[in-house]
Amino acid sequence: MSASFLRMAFLVSLGLCALGLLWRVSAWLRVRIGPDARDIPFHQRLLAAVRGTLATLVSRRTPGVLKAFVLDVFLQRRLFGGSRLRWLGHLLIVNGFLLLLVMHALARLVTAKLYPDYASTHDPWLFLRNVFGAVVVVGIVMVVAGRLRRPPSPPRPQRPMDRVFTALVAVVLLSGFLLEATKVASPKAFYRMANEYIGSTDPEELLPLRLAWATDFGVAFPDLQGAPDPDKLAEGRELHHDACASCHSPPGSSAFVSYPISRVLAPIAEPLDGIDADTWLMYLHLAACFLGLILLPFTRFIHVLADPVSLLANGAASAGPLSPVGRANRRALAIDACVDCRLCDDRCSVAPIARSLGNPALLPSHKLLATHAVATNPRWLDRQAGHARRIAEGAVLCTTCGRCTDRCPVGIDLADLWVAGRADLARAGQPSPAQWVRERSALDWDEALAVQTAAQNPVGPLSSRRETYSACVQCQTCTNVCPVVAHGGEEPGGMDLTPQKVMNLLRLGMIDLAIGSGMVWDCATCYQCQEHCPEGIRVTDVMLELRELGYRRLGDTRERRQRE
Amino acid sequence: MKYALFLGCKIPASVPAYELSTRAVLGRLGVTLVDLPFNCCGYPVRSLDREAFVFAAARNLALAGAAGLDVLTPCKCCFGNLRHAQRFLDEDPALRQRVETALAAERLALPAGVTVEHLLPVLARKVGLAAIAAAVTAPRTGLRVVAHYGCHALRPSDVTRFDHPLAPTIFEDLVRVTGATPVEWPRRLDCCGEPVHDANPSLSDRLTQAKVDDARESGAEVLATACPYCQMRFTEFQAAGSAAPLPVLLYPQLLGQALGLAPRTLGLS
Ligand code: SF4
Ligand code: SF4
Ligand code: SF4
Ligand code: SF4
Repeated sequence: MSASFLRMAFLVSLGLCALGLLWRVSAWLRVRIGPDARDIPFHQRLLAAVRGTLATLVSRRTPGVLKAFVLDVFLQRRLFGGSRLRWLGHLLIVNGFLLLLVMHALARLVTAKLYPDYASTHDPWLFLRNVFGAVVVVGIVMVVAGRLRRPPSPPRPQRPMDRVFTALVAVVLLSGFLLEATKVASPKAFYRMANEYIGSTDPEELLPLRLAWATDFGVAFPDLQGAPDPDKLAEGRELHHDACASCHSPPGSSAFVSYPISRVLAPIAEPLDGIDADTWLMYLHLAACFLGLILLPFTRFIHVLADPVSLLANGAASAGPLSPVGRANRRALAIDACVDCRLCDDRCSVAPIARSLGNPALLPSHKLLATHAVATNPRWLDRQAGHARRIAEGAVLCTTCGRCTDRCPVGIDLADLWVAGRADLARAGQPSPAQWVRERSALDWDEALAVQTAAQNPVGPLSSRRETYSACVQCQTCTNVCPVVAHGGEEPGGMDLTPQKVMNLLRLGMIDLAIGSGMVWDCATCYQCQEHCPEGIRVTDVMLELRELGYRRLGDTRERRQRE
Repeated sequence: MKYALFLGCKIPASVPAYELSTRAVLGRLGVTLVDLPFNCCGYPVRSLDREAFVFAAARNLALAGAAGLDVLTPCKCCFGNLRHAQRFLDEDPALRQRVETALAAERLALPAGVTVEHLLPVLARKVGLAAIAAAVTAPRTGLRVVAHYGCHALRPSDVTRFDHPLAPTIFEDLVRVTGATPVEWPRRLDCCGEPVHDANPSLSDRLTQAKVDDARESGAEVLATACPYCQMRFTEFQAAGSAAPLPVLLYPQLLGQALGLAPRTLGLS
C-alpha cells in the first residue's frame, strides 16, 4: 500500500470524523427537550452557551470544575466507589488505547519525531505495543468480569453504533496481534526485507541469516528443520548484527503476546504467505482503524468532549439557577455526557419499585435514553409496541427526589430532565394515567370495555370480596363528607359519580362503569369517607384499588385503540 | 431516644428546610436520628400496583428492622403509606409471602414490630409536652396560628392511630407549647388539595382556596403544617395568587424559634 494512499485515507477519515464531531456537538444546541425549550432559536442557545462557558471560566468556580473533571471524568472517582474492577478496567482500556494511538498509530507524527531512530519492530516499541495491547485486553476482561460479578442493574440497551464500535475495537486489536504474529513467522516477509537491505533473495546465499532468524526470531522456514550448524548460525548472527539489528529486536520476549501466537501459526506460515495473509490483515487493521475514526463521534466516546462541558454547566448551575436557555442546552447535552456508569440507578428511590414491577424503564439511566428519544423522534414512542405504557410508568412514578442528580459523576441535572421529559411524553400521547383516563367519560370506557373484552379480568383483593361492600346501606354519609363531591359540582357537568354511587356499582357488579369515572380518579384520598362510614366500609382503599384495575384494563383498551 | 429518620423523596429535593429544622429541633430535645439507605415509601405507585407499593414500603421497614430502630418520618404521606403497607402485609398472607421472598433475594427480612411514627406524635408523646415546655426559651407569645392536620396522618384512624379522628388536639397542643395561640378554624381537618393536583388542577385549586380563605377568616397570622406536600401546596398556591400570602411555617420551624434556635439552622432566612 503506498504511503500517499495511506495518508489520503487517513486525511479523509479525519475530515469525516471532524464533520461528524461538528454535527454531534451542534446537537447540544439543536435538541429540544421539554416544552420550555421548544421555541428557543438556535442563536440564543449558542449565545447562552458561549456566555455561560466564559462566565464559568473566569469565575472562581474554574478550579472546582477542573478538579471535578480530573477526579470524575479522568480518574472516574465515583466508578471507583462503585466497582473497583470496572474502574480499573475502564482506566486500562482508555489509557491503553490512547497510548497505542499516540505511539503506534500516529508513530510518524509523534514517536518518530521525538525518537529519530524509531522502528516499529525494535524495542522498546515492539515491546510497548504488546504491553499496551495487552493492557486493553486485560481491561476489557476486567470490565466484563465486573459486570458479571455485580451486574449494573438491568442492562441498558446499547445503542447500535456502540456495538459496531466495540466490534471495531476488537477487530483492530485482534488484527493487530495477528498481523504481527503472521509477519514474525512469515518467510516471505523475510525475503522481502532481505531483498531490500542485502539485495538477495537466494535461499542458499541467505542460509546463515535464515538460520539466525529461524532460531532467534522464529521465522518458519519449511526447509530448516532440526539443529542448525553452529558455524553457519554464528555467521548469520554476525550478518544480522550488521544489517538488521538496528531495526529488529528479538520478538521472543518483547512481543510477548504476538510471539506465542506466531508459534501457533508457524506450521501454516507457508500457506498464509501463499494467500498474502499479512497484506490482508494489514488492510483489515487499517480499514477498521479508519472506520472507527469516522464513527468515533457517533459512539458514546463523545462523552470525552461532552463531560467537561456538562461539568462546566453544573458549575454554573451551582452558583444560581440557570436561565431557561441554559437549561435547554444542559438537557440536550445530557445524552452525550452520560458515561453509562449506572450509579444513578443504584441510588434511585424507585429502584425497588422497578424491580417489583419488572420494569427497568423506571431507572434513570434507561429513562435518559427514552427522554432523549421521545424529544428527538416523534415516532419513536409509537414504535415501542406494547412498551409505551411501561416507558410512561418511568415518568409517572419518578418522585423527582433528585438523588440521581446528586450521584451523577458528570453533573447531569437528571431531575430537571425528568420534569421536562414528562411534558414531552404527554405530548406524544402518554400523559399520566389520571390525565388520559379523562379522554373519555365513564360511560364511554364502559362501552369500550364491553365491546373489547369478553371476559372480566380478575379484580383486586378488596373489590372481589362481597363482604367489602355488601354492608353498605347507601346512607350517603361518604358522599356528604367528600370534599371532591363538594367542590366537584363546579366542574363542567359536575361530578359523574359519588362515593356512595361507586359502592352501589360494586354491589351491582358494574365495576367497569366505575373504573373510568372522574370520581375514582379525582379522589383526593383524604379518607373522610372511610373514617365516617357507619358500616366501616373501606371506601378510599376501594377507590385506590379501582384505579389500579382501571389502569390495567383501560390502559389495554387505550393501547388497542391507539394501534388501530 | 433513637429513630431511623425517613425523609422520603420530597423533603430533600423540594423542602430542605423541613429536614434542617427537624434535625435541629430533635437534636436540641435529645432525640438521636440515624440515616439509613431508604427508598421511596411506595406512595406514587399505590394507584397503579398494590404489590409494588407494599414491597417498596416493606423494604424500608426491613432496613429499619435490620438496624434495630423504629422509623420517624416528618412526611405525613410517607407515614400513612408505610402504615398502610403494614396493614396489607398483616391481612394478606399470600402477599406477605411474596414480599418476603422478594426481600430475601436482597438478604433482607420483614421485621417484627418496627413502629412507624410521625414527627408530631413523637414530639407530643415520646419527648412529651412538658419536656418541650421546659426547653422553650423564646415563647412565641401572642402569635395566632392555625394548625393544618393533613389527611394521611389523621385518617383512617384505625391504621394511623395519630389522634382522635374527629376531634384531634395534638397539633394545637404542640402549637400551644411554643407559647403561640392555636386558632380554631372549621376546615382544619380538610384536604390541602395536593393529591389531585396532577389529575385535576382546578379542583385542587378550589380545595386549597377554601382552606386558605378559612384560615384567613379565622384571623390567623401563620398557617402551620407538618408535611412537605401540604407545605408545598400552600406556598405554591399562594405564590401563584395575587393576594399577600398567609405565612406558612413547618411546625419544627415554629418550635425551633421558641427553642431559641438560630433562623439559619431552621431554614428561615
Ligand atoms: S428523581 Fe426519579 S429517577 Fe431520580 S432517583 Fe429520584 S425517583 Fe429515581
Ligand atoms: S446519567 Fe450520570 S449517573 Fe447515570 S449512568 Fe449516566 S453518567 Fe452515570
Ligand atoms: S357511608 Fe358507608 S354505608 Fe354509607 S353509603 Fe357510604 S359506603 Fe355506604
Ligand atoms: S377519600 Fe376520596 S372519595 Fe373519600 S371523601 Fe376523600 S376525596 Fe371523597
